[in-house]
Amino acid sequence: MGVHRVKTTVVGSYPKIPDPPAPGRWRSSVEKLQRGEITGEDLHKVEDDVTAEVLREQADAGVELLTDGQIRWEDGFTYFARGLHGFTVNGLQRYFDTNVYYRQPVATAEVSWRAPITVADYQFAASHSTRPVKPVVTGPFTLAVLSKDEFYGNLDQFVMALASALNQELRALAAAGAAVIQVDEPGLLTRRDRFPLFRRASNALWDGITATRALYTYFGHLDGLYPAILDLPVDIIGVDLVAGPRNWEILRRARFTKALGAGLLDARNTRLESPEEIAAQTRKAAEIAPAETLQVGPSAGLEFLPRRVARKKLETLVSGVRLANGGAA
Amino acid sequence: MTPSAAPTAVATLLPTTTVGSFPKPPYLLEARRKVARKQMPAAELATLERRATEEWIRRQEELDIDILVDGEMYRGDMVAFFADQMDGFEIAGLVRSYGNRYYPKPVVVRPVGRRGPLTVDWYKFSQGLTARPVKGMLTGPYTIAEWSFNEYYPSRRELVMELARAIHDEAVDLERAGARYIQIDEPAIHTRPDEDFDLAVEAMEVVTSGLKTYTITHVCYGDVPKIYPAMLRLAVNQIDLALKNEDFALLETFRSPRFTKDIGLGVLDAHSHRAETPEEVVDGIRRTLDVIPAKQIQVSPDCGLKTRTIDETTAKLASMVEGTKRVRKELGA
Repeated sequence: MGVHRVKTTVVGSYPKIPDPPAPGRWRSSVEKLQRGEITGEDLHKVEDDVTAEVLREQADAGVELLTDGQIRWEDGFTYFARGLHGFTVNGLQRYFDTNVYYRQPVATAEVSWRAPITVADYQFAASHSTRPVKPVVTGPFTLAVLSKDEFYGNLDQFVMALASALNQELRALAAAGAAVIQVDEPGLLTRRDRFPLFRRASNALWDGITATRALYTYFGHLDGLYPAILDLPVDIIGVDLVAGPRNWEILRRARFTKALGAGLLDARNTRLESPEEIAAQTRKAAEIAPAETLQVGPSAGLEFLPRRVARKKLETLVSGVRLANGGAA
Repeated sequence: MTPSAAPTAVATLLPTTTVGSFPKPPYLLEARRKVARKQMPAAELATLERRATEEWIRRQEELDIDILVDGEMYRGDMVAFFADQMDGFEIAGLVRSYGNRYYPKPVVVRPVGRRGPLTVDWYKFSQGLTARPVKGMLTGPYTIAEWSFNEYYPSRRELVMELARAIHDEAVDLERAGARYIQIDEPAIHTRPDEDFDLAVEAMEVVTSGLKTYTITHVCYGDVPKIYPAMLRLAVNQIDLALKNEDFALLETFRSPRFTKDIGLGVLDAHSHRAETPEEVVDGIRRTLDVIPAKQIQVSPDCGLKTRTIDETTAKLASMVEGTKRVRKELGA
C-alpha cells in the first residue's frame, strides 16, 4: 500500500565546494580575499553563484522544499552573533559530536536585534530557486547554550533575551515572504532539564509569526522531551531518526499531533541508502504522522558529506519517497 | 640517521615543545599542487619535504625549543596520512571543518590494518638531524575512526579496537627506532563522552601497552570538563591540552580532583594570527603553577600550527620560549 503526498526537504547546510578535481571557486575566493586580491563584495558575488548552484542541485535531485545551503555561514553561531548587538566572538569549539567547529559567541552586553541578518539571503535564494525555499535560523536556546555568557550570569535571562531578539528576525523573514521558517535547536537535546525555559523561549520566539513554524532537533533522541514537545507553538517538528534511532519508539508513546520532519537519510555517513530502504522508513514514519503532513529529509545538514555523496543521497531520498508514494512523481 | 645520535636528556624544568604540525613553506605548497596535477614527480616532492623538515628542525633549535617535532611537512592531514598508507581505507572527498578549512575524509571500506611502518622513516630522518629529542607522532585510533566514514564495521567499537592494534604496532616500531617521546593525538576523544569514553580509554591501553618510552596524548577544543577526571585514566604519561583558547578557564576544573598526570600546557592560541607576548605566556604558566606543580608541566601551543604563517608561528614560539625562560628564572631553575 502506498502512502500519499509525502514531501521531501533538507535540513539546512549543503557542501560548499565541488569534489576535486573540479575547482572550488568559493574556497579559492576566500583565499584570494585573505591575500587582499579581491574584495568582500567579490566574494559575496561568488557566494551568490554557489547559492544558486546548490539550489539548482537540490531541485535537480527532485527535493521539494529547499534551503539556500547556508553557503554564506561560517558557522551557525558566528553568523547570528555578529548580526546581533551584545556579542563578541571567541575561539574555536567543536560543534556537538562532529568534526566541525564554530567560533564561540560571547555575550558581553545586553543582547538585542539591530537589523535583519538572514533576510537578504532568503530573498536572494527565493528569487533564484524554481522551488520553495525555507530560511533557517539558529534557535535562541542553542545559541545560548553554545555561547559563553559574560553578561547575564543566568541562562533564563540570556535565552529570553535571545528569543525576543530572534523574534524580530523571524518577523522580518515572514514580512519578506517566507512561508515556512525553520529554527534549529539541537542544543535542546543537551539540556533536557531546561525544557520549561525552552517552552517559554519558544512562546516569545514565535510570537506573532503566521508563517509555518518548523522546529528542528537533530543529533539525538527526544527521550524526556516527548510528548511535552508537542505543546510548543510550532507546526512542524524535525526529528533525527538516524543519530536517534530510539526516536522511532519514543514517537509512538503518544499521538504525534504536528507535521513530522522525518530525518531518515544518514547525513553523517557516506554509506548510500537504497531507495527501498528509504521507502520502507517513509512508510514507517507515515505510521507516526499522516502522510500528507510528512516531510522526509536527511538526519542533519548535508555539509558533513562530500558534495558528490550529498547529491547522490538526495537523489536516493527522492527515489525512495516516490516509491513510498506509490511510484507517483 | 640512527638512534646512535643519542638525544640529550631534557633536564630542564618546564621543557618547551610543540603539538606537531608547522606551516608548509610556499615552495612545498606549490610542489604539492604540482604533484596533485601530475606536473611533478612524487620523488621531487619528497626531496622538498625533507628540505622543509630540516628547515623546521633548525628553526626549532634556533628558537631553543627543548623537545622537537618533525613538523609534518609530508602530511596533508593527520588522519588521511595514516588512512592513505593503511589497508582498508579510501578517500571520499573533501569535507569542511571550519571556514575554508577542508580535510580529505577517509572511508573505511574493508578491514583496516598496517601494511608496514607508517612514520618510522620520517622519525629517523628528523632525529638524525638534531641532538635534541624529536617526538614520534601518531594519530590515535579513536580519532582516526571518528574522523572517517565507516561503511564496513558494524560498530565503532570494532573499528576503534582494530585501529588501536595497528597504532600500537607503529608505536612499538617507533620505540625500537629510538623515540623517547611518543605522542598519540586524540583530538576527537571527548566527542561522545557519555557514549564511549571508556572505549577510548581501552583503545589507548592497547596503543601504549608495554611501551617504556614517555607517552603523550594531545586533546583539543571540546568539552574537557565533561571528561574530567575520567581523562586521567588514559594510559599515557602526559595529556596535552589547549588552555589559552579559553583563557586558562580549564584550570578551575583541574583544581579538584588534582591533575595527576603531566600536562602539555597550551599557552598559544593556534588559531589567532596575533602573536602572544612573553608576558601573556608568563602569566599563563604562573596561573597554572597555582594548580599544577612545575615538574608536571611541559609548555606548548594549544594545537598544531599548520594553519598559521611561518612568521606568525615563529613569533608565537619565540614568545613561548622567552616567557617560559622567565618563569624558570623565577623558580630558580
